[in-house]
Amino acid sequence: MDGIIGVLQFATDGVSQQQQATANNLANSETPDFTAEDVNFQTSLRQAIDAAGGGTASLTVGPDPAPMATDGNNVDTSTQLVDAQEEMLQYQTNVEMLNAQFRLISGAAGGSFS
Amino acid sequence: MSDLFGNINVSGSGIAASQTWLNTIAGNIANMDDVSPTDEATYGEQTPIFEPDAAFGQPGQGVTVAAVDEGSTAGVVESDPTSPLADAQGDVRVPDIELGGQMVNMIQAQTDYQANTSAMADARTAYQSALTLGT
Repeated sequence: MDGIIGVLQFATDGVSQQQQATANNLANSETPDFTAEDVNFQTSLRQAIDAAGGGTASLTVGPDPAPMATDGNNVDTSTQLVDAQEEMLQYQTNVEMLNAQFRLISGAAGGSFS
Repeated sequence: MSDLFGNINVSGSGIAASQTWLNTIAGNIANMDDVSPTDEATYGEQTPIFEPDAAFGQPGQGVTVAAVDEGSTAGVVESDPTSPLADAQGDVRVPDIELGGQMVNMIQAQTDYQANTSAMADARTAYQSALTLGT
């Protein structure tokens, strides 16, 4: 799907994946030798939006570059909890934007705008 | 995304792991004052071994408790001539567990548990907002 709805759909899926990575990092905050996961899709999505004639966005899962503790674990619980809050609000914002688009479509099709 | 509402399961695995950890700490503290004869083994300090539950190249699926390590059952030999279990030299064997260390672990396990419940609440809020799509 292209257009604004496609972009929002991709972003919503991406944020959901980020939430999963954050939840996984928190679940493994005491696992020895665990490297935190960092999910990124924003850079790729921006490039795809900016590309002339359209582009394809992708999601990447990489290691978090944070320094590791003596047990080889690099999960910073406070950073992850902040990320979790941010991702939740981002998700809700995306959903609200999608609903706004659907209301526009509904109104343009003769239904209600609200 | 492997399953519906998967993020909640990821946090759930973290809660279960923290709970196992808390259980082992409770067991360790409860058995701190065990007394055994010197010719028998004593209670060994239990420690859960955590392992990530992950598929390669995919966002992780949470954590699992691979095993509960039962530490050395050798404990320490103490002099307690009044104990009915004391040997000819008046010695008994007691577990090698320190309350301080257990309390520190307990605080860590508790913080861990809280962090996971917080992440689960966030996932729930996000999923609930997704359910409003198109309404």
